Amino acid sequence: MGTYSEPLRTQSLGLYVHVPLCDGKCRYCGFYSEPAANHDLDRLVSALISELDRYPADTPVQTVYLGGGSPTSLPVGSLARLLEAVASRWPGAREFTVECNPGQTDARILTVLRRFGVNRLSFGVQSFHAQELLLLGRRHTADDAVSAIRLAQESGFENIGLDLIFAIPGSTPDAWHQNLHRAVALNVQHISAYSLTVEPGTPLLQAVQAGELDAIDEDTDRAMYEMAIDCLASAGFVQYEISNFAREGFACLHNQGYWDNRSYIGIGPSASSYDGGSRTTNIADIRQYVRRIEAGQSPADESERLNDEDRVCQTAVLNLRTRKGVDLAAFQATTGADFAEVFASPLERHRRLGLLEIEGGRVRLAREALGIADSVLCDFSSF
Amino acid sequence: MDTRYIRNFSIVAHIDHGKSTLADRMLELTGTITSRDAKEQLLDDMDIERERGITIKASAVTMHYRYNGQTYMLNLIDTPGHVDFHYEVSRALAACEGALLVVDASQGVEAQTVANAYLAVETGVEIMGVINKIDLPAAQPEVVAEEMEHVLGIRRKECFRISAKTGAGVKDLLDAICELLPGPEDRSAETTKALVFDSHADQYRGVVCYVRVFSGKLRVRQKIRLMHSGRSYLVTELGQFRPAMVPVEELGTGEVGYIVANIRNLADVTIGDTVTDDANPADAPLKSYQPPMQMVFSDFYPGDNTEYSKLRAAFEKLALNDASFSFSPQNSPALGFGFRCGFLGLLHMEIIQERLERENDLDIVQTAPTVTYEVVMSDGRVKRIESPSELPDRTLIRELREPFVRLEIITSTESIGGIMKLAEARRCKLIKTDYLNPTRVMMEYKGPLAEIVYDFYDQIKGISRGYATMDYELTGFEATHLVKIDILVNGQPVDALSIIVHRDHAEQRGRKLVTKLKKSIPRHQFEIPLQVAIGGKIIARETVKAFRKDVTAKLYGGDVTRKMKVLKKQKEGKKRMKSIGSVQIPQKAFMSVLDTSD
Repeated sequence: MGTYSEPLRTQSLGLYVHVPLCDGKCRYCGFYSEPAANHDLDRLVSALISELDRYPADTPVQTVYLGGGSPTSLPVGSLARLLEAVASRWPGAREFTVECNPGQTDARILTVLRRFGVNRLSFGVQSFHAQELLLLGRRHTADDAVSAIRLAQESGFENIGLDLIFAIPGSTPDAWHQNLHRAVALNVQHISAYSLTVEPGTPLLQAVQAGELDAIDEDTDRAMYEMAIDCLASAGFVQYEISNFAREGFACLHNQGYWDNRSYIGIGPSASSYDGGSRTTNIADIRQYVRRIEAGQSPADESERLNDEDRVCQTAVLNLRTRKGVDLAAFQATTGADFAEVFASPLERHRRLGLLEIEGGRVRLAREALGIADSVLCDFSSF
Repeated sequence: MDTRYIRNFSIVAHIDHGKSTLADRMLELTGTITSRDAKEQLLDDMDIERERGITIKASAVTMHYRYNGQTYMLNLIDTPGHVDFHYEVSRALAACEGALLVVDASQGVEAQTVANAYLAVETGVEIMGVINKIDLPAAQPEVVAEEMEHVLGIRRKECFRISAKTGAGVKDLLDAICELLPGPEDRSAETTKALVFDSHADQYRGVVCYVRVFSGKLRVRQKIRLMHSGRSYLVTELGQFRPAMVPVEELGTGEVGYIVANIRNLADVTIGDTVTDDANPADAPLKSYQPPMQMVFSDFYPGDNTEYSKLRAAFEKLALNDASFSFSPQNSPALGFGFRCGFLGLLHMEIIQERLERENDLDIVQTAPTVTYEVVMSDGRVKRIESPSELPDRTLIRELREPFVRLEIITSTESIGGIMKLAEARRCKLIKTDYLNPTRVMMEYKGPLAEIVYDFYDQIKGISRGYATMDYELTGFEATHLVKIDILVNGQPVDALSIIVHRDHAEQRGRKLVTKLKKSIPRHQFEIPLQVAIGGKIIARETVKAFRKDVTAKLYGGDVTRKMKVLKKQKEGKKRMKSIGSVQIPQKAFMSVLDTSD
């Protein structure tokens, strides 16, 4: 990535660093990660840092997100080196998030995170029910999650988010309701509520296909989703995206950048970058990634050059996932396209069905459409 | 040529009983072709015909054969073997004095054999019975001969036993054709009369008419007149099929050949028309046979509305070589622009549809086939309708008539019960049962065409484990208690889903129909009520439930490329359907209205 295009110099950017390590693979996880024990982690961190070095110091990074895998799988020393490398290059970033695994987050790690300017934590809690955690293949308990979050709060973190998963096989609306309440009771600022996606190639899918697990039916799944929206709203959380809820002023700036279709830099194996014209994805293999970086080669594995239609459609689809929706004026300014004109027919069709709302220069999904968003968004995926 | 030495004959047979092989053997034995240049089954020259093993278009070939010191001219006029193409058999027979009725020695008499024998008897041609495939281990020529005597009235002693494959008995058969079949009447002194029994469009010559001369003769440069159309033409070429087109100077009484006369369009020539001399015309045309009647209709719509003109061009191209199907523009409130097409039967429809898709790369949405109905209006006028949507308001109708057929089914005795049950359910009345031998039976029914046109044949094949054969012949229109079933999708009537059924079955059919429809319409973002209305009254309702969940939980930077592909695919999936209001209806839903199975 020796060169970078115009938008990267001028726009505010997101920086994503992918740490593809886990202490073990969760049964539902379709992301790329490897067991930490198999790798020379110092070498990996050095490679990540040299990929960072390919971007000039004046690259206007506004938000940083260190995700995985699980960054907390790194030994504290290696994690500190990586954080220092980021923090020293972009000390002015407004938001610096690190994903934390509840079973791995102790006082030492929290101290290191604080020292290098991390100001937002995201905990992969998923559930407070032992049975559900077991089924998901998580290696922490509900108590681990509660104490990790309390510890983080005591250490001075004031912007903490947690992830929950619903529609887990065997779960019930009651069990989900309890999860929501326990999450709210932890006094966090942000909650992501994801319907379980049974990804191809995961042990979970095999179990469902073998008939060992019964997938949750559509009606229950939908009811759980609606329950999350209502329950979190009454607890003071504002839904700002299909799966994301935050207290006023605590929406995740970094993720908002994706839905605004702004540019971002992705560092690390399997990470993606977008410079406003192309999407590039790094190779999803730690050894090859390290080898290429050390040899001064590009870690990019595939790159997709977007034409005008792609850009317009991606912006539309991403914007529509948010509750503020498409700002028609901003859309025209960034894409050069008149949203109401190029999407006149799907706009009219879904509006008539009560699935899209048009108001105050904005177009957004109606509440009724949130649970079936893809059936609306697909009509915005091409002209 | 002296008419005493001319023999004009057809071979009629059930599919696969060896008609084409016999024709090939005759061509070889008469030296018309050598076995080296004999492509397998030379007379079938269209791909689809060869793939399906059936002959669609009649062809003719002229052979010369020495018998008893004389050279005979043998004109073989080929015929198709499928029920849908009855009229082509009768048009071929009209040009002949004799017919060879070929029956497979291992299969015995089939329903088509019986139907063809009836046709031959009606036309008044001399019939010769031929038992083919006597070389097969399973051959039972004596049992089959018994059946032929019993069912067809051909004396068992007079049946020829041959193997077209090995050639055994074929020479004796040729001898017998010369010896036993009558030659044409000698009317060479009278004015020209020739029957047009087929035609095809040739890229260079224009229309080629297949003719049989009944009186006088045809000459090159003769000015001729087609008596039906009244148009006159100058003959530029005459010839015979040997089997390639070989020009001759004249065609005399009794001879068979072709005329090229600068005729541009296939539609200008009516099959069955009489050719006469323009300067010295005949008083009356030859007695013609019944013109083909289109009995099955279906609407064809382009899957993609922008391909309407491409579909039209494809139809025009097909019509050049098949005058027996028709197409006319159709505008359905529900489905947009398309064509209403008429066919001789279901097989004919399938062949046309297959050729359209195969030869033109078109995606077609086709409505369920329907039959023609006769409506007697309250003012006494009789109107024919080809689609349920054309049915006038109930209050304007005095009587509704539907086409009836005589149906022959030949089957094994153990399947009689199953077939009787099916036939009864389809409103067919048993006329008679005739045992061909202790294990085989011929059942004759009378029933409405609408009930057998769709899957009846498949059903009896299933009941009899593939044994039964069936043929039918239109007998006329009869008044029955018919009602129209309308389907409302999301509150909107969809004309292409309407069907006309007997009153006694209407409610049951209506209920079954929405159940089928419910299964074939995919779930949408909203609930879709499906309603069945008979005479404006809703009698049944089903609901296609809305899908409750269709959303990607996580969509962040690294997921965008993959997710956009998935969304595009989801959008593409809607394309191969027809939109009716906000509901997408797939092709299979239109066909499901005729599916009466459980």
